[in-house]
Amino acid sequence: MELHYDQSYGLKGKIECRIKDTGLVEFRNVSMGYDKGHDVLSDISFKLETGSMHFLTGPSGSGKTSLLKLMYLAHRPNSGEIMMFGQDVANAAREDLPKLRRRIGVVFQDFRLLDHLSAVENVALPLRIAGGKGPQINEHVEELLSWVGLDERMLANPSALSGGEKQRVAIARAVIRRPDILLADEPTGNVDPEMSERLMYLFVELNKLGTTIVIATHDNKLVEKIGAPRLHLEKGQLLHIQGSKKKFTDYEGPR
Amino acid sequence: MSMSFDFLPNEKHKGATKLLPWVMAIMVYLSALSAAGSLLLHSGFDDWASSLQGKVTVQITGEDAAVIKEQAVEIQQLLRRVPGILSVRIIPDNEIVALLEPWLGAGNITDDLPIPVMIDLETEPDVYINLDALEIKLKQITDTVYLDDHAQWLKHFYNLTYTVEYTALGILVMILMASICIVIFGTKSSMSEHKNTIEIMHLMGAQDQMIAGAYQRRFMNYGLKGGAYGLVLSFITLFGLSKLVQNLASGLVEMPTFPYLTLSILFIFPLLFAALSMLTARITVMRELGRML
Repeated sequence: MELHYDQSYGLKGKIECRIKDTGLVEFRNVSMGYDKGHDVLSDISFKLETGSMHFLTGPSGSGKTSLLKLMYLAHRPNSGEIMMFGQDVANAAREDLPKLRRRIGVVFQDFRLLDHLSAVENVALPLRIAGGKGPQINEHVEELLSWVGLDERMLANPSALSGGEKQRVAIARAVIRRPDILLADEPTGNVDPEMSERLMYLFVELNKLGTTIVIATHDNKLVEKIGAPRLHLEKGQLLHIQGSKKKFTDYEGPR
Repeated sequence: MSMSFDFLPNEKHKGATKLLPWVMAIMVYLSALSAAGSLLLHSGFDDWASSLQGKVTVQITGEDAAVIKEQAVEIQQLLRRVPGILSVRIIPDNEIVALLEPWLGAGNITDDLPIPVMIDLETEPDVYINLDALEIKLKQITDTVYLDDHAQWLKHFYNLTYTVEYTALGILVMILMASICIVIFGTKSSMSEHKNTIEIMHLMGAQDQMIAGAYQRRFMNYGLKGGAYGLVLSFITLFGLSKLVQNLASGLVEMPTFPYLTLSILFIFPLLFAALSMLTARITVMRELGRML
């Protein structure tokens, strides 16, 4: 599959790897808790290079989803700094958040598709939020849905889609605007191994296009197979970062 | 740039706000009736007041009909000499009987019933006549003569009219406040119902204005749709009531004409409620979203 993102939206023609230097993520001594409970993340510090791909691993309750929430700006930390796109997003003004969020694509563990909208409409949402309108949007969306293998299911509502199909719609929605950072929370949790590999190949392809990617997963086999570096969490603490921080390009997809 | 579009699920068949157009219809219906009542009374007051403008009634009472008729002629001659009085007319007995028949019943007015003599005066609009002095002058002919320029009656009627108008205005304000509360409640319920949708929109970078835009458009439509229903119902009710009142009052009191043109002002209610719903929904959504990250 050959892909190309133009300046505005969507996929066209050939691959063009255009790495932006705005995808850098840096956590500096970040701690986070919900309400007045204890910290679910303590003193987290790490740095992700632009265009890198990382797995976020760790047992259930280790804080993977919370870390992702900080990264997709759904929560503010109790302390510390989070540098994204060259600014401290942890302390960004509320009115600045929408613009920052538009640069982040998120694949939620439970998909979080809008049930009353079709697959096409769900995927088109980020474009419409950004002010896009007209048939041009549908063209891009349909192209991307074809790319994720949903040509026949474009008009189906999420309730009529299987887990794997929903997951692919969610991924398409997350990447349609070509975000600088793509965050995926257990993206293969609801699909069979074959589909897991196909989805992972999709992430790798996006990473090749320059998107910084962080994937939270339990699937150690998949992590080993792909071989991208890991951020490992245990009880809210970042224990180690394995492997290279370089951009991942080795994986060639399922065989 | 942040274009607003309708991303919310349809609530026609289910949802927190599906009954809102009907609530709006009731609110507009009550408001329209309240305002129409006030307008009708005001219009009636104007009609009656203008019909009594420049009219003075002289009444001569007494036991002996022949005597008071002689006194009436004498008073008539005196009044014709007063500057500013355009016409003096002794009301014939048959007209007085016709006026009394609705109250006493046809055939119940016998010759031995002491019926006063009434004289209608028409005065020039721009000439001041001292009615108190004129009454003193007339009382030199007979003590039982009375002048009535209807001022006292009009004053009472004026007070009643304005009391009713202010009451109607108060009711209208209460209906508007109740409507605002209902829209706030409906908006919050709908937001709670679609919390997931709103969160997702937020996380994808939707601005508060975009989310508020979808809500304000939806609630404006509820206001317009409900308002139109309520207005139609209120006009049907008013038309029915006007027919009923005209039949009931026939012969007793001259009813004012139904001010359909004035009542066209009621068309403002659906627009008012739509605007109010839209604004309230917007403020509510913006405030609620302001509490989110």
